[in-house]
Amino acid sequence: MSEKEIKGTIEEVFSYSARHPARLLEEYRAAGQKAVGILPYYAPEELVYAAGMAPLGLWGMEGSVRGAGRYFPAFYCAIARMNLEMALVGVLDGLSAVLAPSICDAMRPFTQNFKSARPDIPMIFLAQPQNRTEEFGVVYMTDELARVREELEAVAGTRITDDAIRDAIAVYNESRAERRRFVRLAASHPSVITPERRSDVLKSAWFMPKPRHTAVLKTLNDAIEALAPENWTGGKVVVSGILADSASLLSVFQDNRLAIVADDVANESRSFRSDMPLPEKDEAPLRILARGFAGQGADSLLHDPDLSRRARHLKGLVEESGAQGVVFVMMQFCDPEELDYPHLKQALDAVGIPNAQIGYDQQMRDFGQARTQLEAFSEMLADRGRRDCSAASSTGR
Amino acid sequence: MAMDEGILTRSESSGWEEAEAVKGKETLQSDERRATDFVMGLDIGSATSKCVVLRLDGAIIGKAVVAGGVGTEGAEQAKSLALQDAGILSDAAPMRVAATGYGRHLATDADGRFSELSCHALGALRLFPEARTVIDIGGQDSKVLRVSERGTLESFAMNDKCAAGTGRFLEEIARALNIPVGEMAELAASSGKCLDISSTCVVFAESEVVSHLARGASRADVLGGIFRSIAARVGALAQRAGICPMVVMTGGVAMNAGVREALADELGMEISVSPLSQHAGALGAALRALAQT
Repeated sequence: MSEKEIKGTIEEVFSYSARHPARLLEEYRAAGQKAVGILPYYAPEELVYAAGMAPLGLWGMEGSVRGAGRYFPAFYCAIARMNLEMALVGVLDGLSAVLAPSICDAMRPFTQNFKSARPDIPMIFLAQPQNRTEEFGVVYMTDELARVREELEAVAGTRITDDAIRDAIAVYNESRAERRRFVRLAASHPSVITPERRSDVLKSAWFMPKPRHTAVLKTLNDAIEALAPENWTGGKVVVSGILADSASLLSVFQDNRLAIVADDVANESRSFRSDMPLPEKDEAPLRILARGFAGQGADSLLHDPDLSRRARHLKGLVEESGAQGVVFVMMQFCDPEELDYPHLKQALDAVGIPNAQIGYDQQMRDFGQARTQLEAFSEMLADRGRRDCSAASSTGR
Repeated sequence: MAMDEGILTRSESSGWEEAEAVKGKETLQSDERRATDFVMGLDIGSATSKCVVLRLDGAIIGKAVVAGGVGTEGAEQAKSLALQDAGILSDAAPMRVAATGYGRHLATDADGRFSELSCHALGALRLFPEARTVIDIGGQDSKVLRVSERGTLESFAMNDKCAAGTGRFLEEIARALNIPVGEMAELAASSGKCLDISSTCVVFAESEVVSHLARGASRADVLGGIFRSIAARVGALAQRAGICPMVVMTGGVAMNAGVREALADELGMEISVSPLSQHAGALGAALRALAQT
């Protein structure tokens, strides 16, 4: 596959799916397949897949909040408000159910409003434990998953067997591995896999059938791997936040020659950075899913007694990817991310990793401030690069 | 001083006077100047346009600030006035032009465009070589910059989309109190009472102002409260970026002594300003242009 064909495949398959999830929903329904909306975060998508239904990620949409303003104050989580707006304007009409995890403090109240606004769409609530790593947490989560399984069976009109869940875990782990590979390859070919293309490839996984997404992505990854190494002269950054999928925002990265070489973004790498674990002897598949959730961490949404864990993770991403700095895309108004930010900034500053924070909201139309900040950050990285080169040459390195 | 050694040395609040002195010694003859022996920095902001002209040895030889920013004739007027200030014919072409500010991408004749953050950092360091923290309060943004001794950005923090803590906030309050922006500081100096006004939202603050006035508060006391409100907002931003002395203020609001003093109280630090503070962005752009010659 040539560079042109790589770009063409991304445009035709991944960008199309990332930008038109409503069309995919239509296609699922036309093919007689039920679809279930997957709310953030850490929903057991595998159970939906195992039931023979299509999972569709619900991460809001770009647009204006009108009807949802009756349910939420203005300074509330943008995803919660936009998801409810989608429900109110009919975008979610084709869904057979919505699976709603509770780990986010803003999304939990959303479920009440959703039930009130759209009582015709079944809401399956999953109460995840914050104390998830202890055995009692795993047992509790396994019980919750059993209840979710029953409710999904009622929606699907079919039983979800243990074997089907095991197969689903394998399908999803294969997808996660291929997406991790893509993230690594994208980092070494930033002018081909631009921030926008990178985002489309990852975002489309929330809407496309997983086996098809994985199959096309594997071919794409092989093609990227075969390309000659790229000598990128722009900046390299790690992006951290909840969402960073706005085409307008990503074009600002691109215009300022900032390559995204790794991410700590909730709807990107946080959702596939670790696999569901291998089964212990005769382990029930629901317990595997519970242990998979227990293994998650380094996330503003998850309680962690070790405050430095996410900071260590970010520093590790910078080191492994060769990034020069970190850009926090701060979702407005995401309390968990806002509250994590001061200690993350402190930790990065302490080891001299440049970092910047830019605000983002799905209702945003003017990216002038983000443009100014990313331009300044790009200049800052370039100045530091020149200084480091100058220091290296003066010491004979 | 790294890049400007010997061109313009610092003294507290004396940047422009020294530049004037340099200019005076030159006795510029516009008709004798070659068309390419100067560079220009243009800062097209949301409310005003600023322009600085530098001689190729780095001396500041012209400056201008005009009301009218993005989408107005302000930028062209600022250029024309700065050339006139420098004693250069208006049709003379600079060797290089660098643009900054919110409207930098509209400057089609610019050879380079740079963010106002890095330009304010560079400009402030030129005015105050000891500057390590720069607070720039402009028309629609407020920014806190940490700068290195070389004038490069070390880190920065910028306000969110809310107008609280910006020049626009002052304009709104001036309108509500029916006084010119330029007379606010003088009036507030006679304030004898500390009024508490919200620092979280311009709209809330404006309604609080009306409430205070309705209860018989003086405009001076209201203004004192407004300045402290801005200082609290910008002070929080500064804490986020990290504060390291010397602290320098740039941008149009730097010229407002009331805000400046309130901010110094808030931070517990002296804040230095220059008569050229409002031109710091344009000066930084001009220095960028000069570096590219």
